[in-house]
Amino acid sequence: MSINEAQVSTVDQEMKKQPRRRQLSDRSIVNLFIWPALLLLIAMNVFPLFYSLYLGFTDYSAIARQQPVWVGFQNFSRILNDEQLWKYFATTGRFALLSVGLQTLVGFGLAMLVNEKFKGSGLLTTLILIPMMISPVVVGLFWKLMYNPTFGFFNYLIGFTNPSTAPDWLASRFAGTPVPGMALWAVVIVDVWMWSPFVMLLVLSGLKAIPDYLYEAAAIDRASAWFQFWRITLPQVTPLLLIAVLFRTIEAFKAFDLIMGMTGGGPGDQTELISVNLYRQAFLGQWRTGRASALAYIILIIIIAISNLYIRYLNQMKGES
Amino acid sequence: MKIKYLLVLTLVFVLILSACAQPTQAPVEEPAAEEPAAEEPAAEAPAVSELNILWAQWDPADYLQQVANMYEEETGIKVNVIQEPWGSFGDRFFTEMAAGGDAWDMVVGDSQWLGQGATQGHYIELTDFMASKGIDKSVTPATLTYYGEYPTGSGHYWGFPTEGDADGWAYRKDLFEDPDEMAAFEAEYGYPLDVPKDYNQLMDIANFFTRPDDGIYGVAIYTQKDYDAITMGVENTMFSWGGDWHDENNNVMGIVNSPENIEAVQFYRDLYECCQVPGLSNAFFTETNDAMIGGQATMIMNYFAFLPALASSDISEYADVTGFFPNPAGPKGAPQHAALGGQGMSVISYISDERKQAALDFIEWFAQEDIQTKWAELGGYSCNSSVLQTDEFLAAQPFNPAFAETMTFVKDFWNIPEYGELMEITQRHLSSFIVEGVGTAEETMNAIAEEHDQVLRDAGYIE
Amino acid sequence: MSNFREDGPGYPVTEASRVDKVSPISRRLRSLRAITVMVIAIIMLIPVFVMAITAFKSRSVIVSHPPTIFFKPSLEGFVFLFTDRAVVSKARQPEFKAAAETGELGLVERIALESGQEVTGPSDYVNRLKNSLIIAGLSTIFSVVLGLFAAYAFSRFDVLGKDDLLFFILSTRMLPAVVVTIPLFLMFRQLGLNDTHLGMILLYTVFNLSLAVWLLKGFIDEIPVEYEEAALVDGYSRIQTFFKIVLPQTMTGIAATTVFCLIFAWNEYAFALMLTSDNARTAPPSIATMLGRGGIEWSAIAAGSLGFLIPVVIVTFALRNYLLRGVTFGAVRK
Repeated sequence: MSINEAQVSTVDQEMKKQPRRRQLSDRSIVNLFIWPALLLLIAMNVFPLFYSLYLGFTDYSAIARQQPVWVGFQNFSRILNDEQLWKYFATTGRFALLSVGLQTLVGFGLAMLVNEKFKGSGLLTTLILIPMMISPVVVGLFWKLMYNPTFGFFNYLIGFTNPSTAPDWLASRFAGTPVPGMALWAVVIVDVWMWSPFVMLLVLSGLKAIPDYLYEAAAIDRASAWFQFWRITLPQVTPLLLIAVLFRTIEAFKAFDLIMGMTGGGPGDQTELISVNLYRQAFLGQWRTGRASALAYIILIIIIAISNLYIRYLNQMKGES
Repeated sequence: MKIKYLLVLTLVFVLILSACAQPTQAPVEEPAAEEPAAEEPAAEAPAVSELNILWAQWDPADYLQQVANMYEEETGIKVNVIQEPWGSFGDRFFTEMAAGGDAWDMVVGDSQWLGQGATQGHYIELTDFMASKGIDKSVTPATLTYYGEYPTGSGHYWGFPTEGDADGWAYRKDLFEDPDEMAAFEAEYGYPLDVPKDYNQLMDIANFFTRPDDGIYGVAIYTQKDYDAITMGVENTMFSWGGDWHDENNNVMGIVNSPENIEAVQFYRDLYECCQVPGLSNAFFTETNDAMIGGQATMIMNYFAFLPALASSDISEYADVTGFFPNPAGPKGAPQHAALGGQGMSVISYISDERKQAALDFIEWFAQEDIQTKWAELGGYSCNSSVLQTDEFLAAQPFNPAFAETMTFVKDFWNIPEYGELMEITQRHLSSFIVEGVGTAEETMNAIAEEHDQVLRDAGYIE
Repeated sequence: MSNFREDGPGYPVTEASRVDKVSPISRRLRSLRAITVMVIAIIMLIPVFVMAITAFKSRSVIVSHPPTIFFKPSLEGFVFLFTDRAVVSKARQPEFKAAAETGELGLVERIALESGQEVTGPSDYVNRLKNSLIIAGLSTIFSVVLGLFAAYAFSRFDVLGKDDLLFFILSTRMLPAVVVTIPLFLMFRQLGLNDTHLGMILLYTVFNLSLAVWLLKGFIDEIPVEYEEAALVDGYSRIQTFFKIVLPQTMTGIAATTVFCLIFAWNEYAFALMLTSDNARTAPPSIATMLGRGGIEWSAIAAGSLGFLIPVVIVTFALRNYLLRGVTFGAVRK
């Protein structure tokens, strides 16, 4: 069964424009389908969202039994003028770029590899998913064990057997000499290991959805493999890929339990992501709830801005295809 | 139209929820939480049959539960020791306190919490109670000051010193007592190999035993950035060099960045660079213990409360050859010092009067000398001065003599409510200088002094 | 894309008839591909393997240099995981040793005694696991069902302010958990949801709803609307169409969403730590913080994590045919 694309779109348009008898019931279906989800979201989110927004404008510590004191934009202006925090934002950006970028590459590559069926491909694909099923805190703990130059496996597997001349990943040192950035890479490696399967699975669903006849037609036209990938595979997969990338980016900005378990933000502040610092300000003896709430909103705004870019691109892609 | 609908709905929800939230904030308005439980006294049974104590999840809490079981046998009042993992102990406790919760009647809280507990009304004051029952005289003065008193030196007490603790060292006796090693060491350094008497000796020994080719290293010291570990480690040297965090008037400029402190921090960095077991760049009590158990470290720094594992042959194959010593003296003749750990027991202010009385009754019972003896026998670190001096105690564990000695020269970090901010500053700079290897000791301590000064000025401790 | 026919070939295409699939080169490529995937899978599973062997190591083996793959296995980790223990005091040690020798002690007690401890009772691990099953399981079902309905409506109908609503749904996932915990804690206390299963189920449902709506909408968008049109013309009602036509087509999406939601809810740590204590605490916070005597009980954490991994792996394996099947069968596509 194959229908011409032109026909499809006209049917589609007719369906939307035509005033039909079903219209009323359609609307009630929409209400019935959407509102339960929305109501639940509103009920659980509105108070926390607005209350923490309010706290962002106050001088308040959750453990001091005093009412929040309204201070206007003071928290925000102090945060924006704090060079230390900008450094953390930069680190977070680097982390997000590296880990989401690599996840996309690795995940996409994996999906392309397992897309064609071979004996045992289903089993192998499912096994590849295991890393993302482990709790991030446990992942952090075990990778700390893995990275240990004395009794961890990582260095041995890449060929360093003498701890004193080996890289100490989480300390950003190679044979005792500081190598800035190594700890961040170590964290990125773990994040990529853990979440590439997520990207893979979504891309795979997209790949499976590409109708064979597109490739058939390309083959008949003797189109190159490169052309096939570039003009058929990529555009067809992009919508789901972008959703994967969107969620990974959001999570990268919120990454916290993994890093807390592995490096605690150290050495120095090489892996101090903004969300780790946020936790430090909101808890861990500091309890600067007001300031932390303001910082959270700044993070939120940044995430919203980035998400908007993705979504705009996503819609653009959809409009084109 | 739907958007409007949504907005109205949102507003309604906000209103409902903020109305719901109002009662939570109501008790917040009370300046001092004298009688916060007055709102719902009906919920309380007249006779208290159960008490809950919050503590961290570790062996001493098990010991406390065993002591508490004796209390139940005597009085019929059940006492539960609720254990929360270390990582979330503070967060859980303070979140509950923020809401004025009465989930627990008592908490065995960190010494650094005293400021927040006392000034923000989470704890009830125990001064009169402790004086009238003679409890304040039964514990050693240092523990009373650090686990009970706030502000320091004021004579106001908020906690009963329960678990004394401080930093000390474990070392490999077999290596120290090996005749070949002893001869080689004396030939190289000109004095006999023994437990270090000052930090220079400690450095010599650490250097001497650092042999990467044999998989053996000099020391395992605290370096963790998460919460307070690296600060606690560095503090040991700072205090022993004669340095401090502040003077009596809370001044920090010239104190934090004093020459003594700078030298001490430089020493810690040198020790880390030359002799730390590889991979211990984010190390706290478990990592240093593991370095000993794994046979990589010759000497490790740790809180006494975590040392039993090293003396237990079931856990460490080196248990029989592991010795213990207190912090050595500084190189400049300053008295020995050790960073304080440990906790005091405080009564939560948000419980009913009956429960408060029941909690005080429990503390009074717990503070008795024979119960404290029992507590120490089980493995708890009693702060009772006569228990600490008994031969039974000193002989009970191989590290107890070092512990008893250490508890006479302990010293603590800040315990004012702002300690968290001060701690974050020291953690960040010390981790950067020592572990990351960035900057100089002087720059580091200057930066800490400046930022501490700012925090203390903002909080009104310095005008 | 204008240089090939977009209406597809006029005859059914089977794998065997595809010119690009039968050459010897492509066969060799395929086995190369299989080997590559296998190697990658092995590399990715190394850390899991390390975790698995750690569960059977005793503490001194774990922290000794160099790391070993072959060692004398110990059940210490599992015993520590399932029991609460107390240190046997020196005075009572001979008594216990004698009991062990005469065979009065069971296997579990003997293993505990090897590290100088006596078993005082079962640990709360099983309970935590049960909580995790209830909370993660139910919340996953709720978020997938609610998400599916919402995603269908968003995909197929003109909803006023659709983009804004969708963005609102997404934005609920953006605020860092750390900051909403305090307001949530206050709210839960007022509603009596603190440390209850219901509270955590609601929270995780909401937490995952955004992912569910967005993912499922992505999948439903891929399904050609013609099927439904045809069904509607045939006299099916909208609801019937949804259940008879859309639902079967969305199975891949539902499977993927279920797996993701389950994984997130199953492993969530920060909320569970702050909003639960004894009653409804799930496994991740208690596994990750298992402290033994003066150190991390690596073996118990490894054993606990392995046990905790099994249910998710089972669900994923059960759903893997749907997961890997693909959305459509090369039929129509917009």
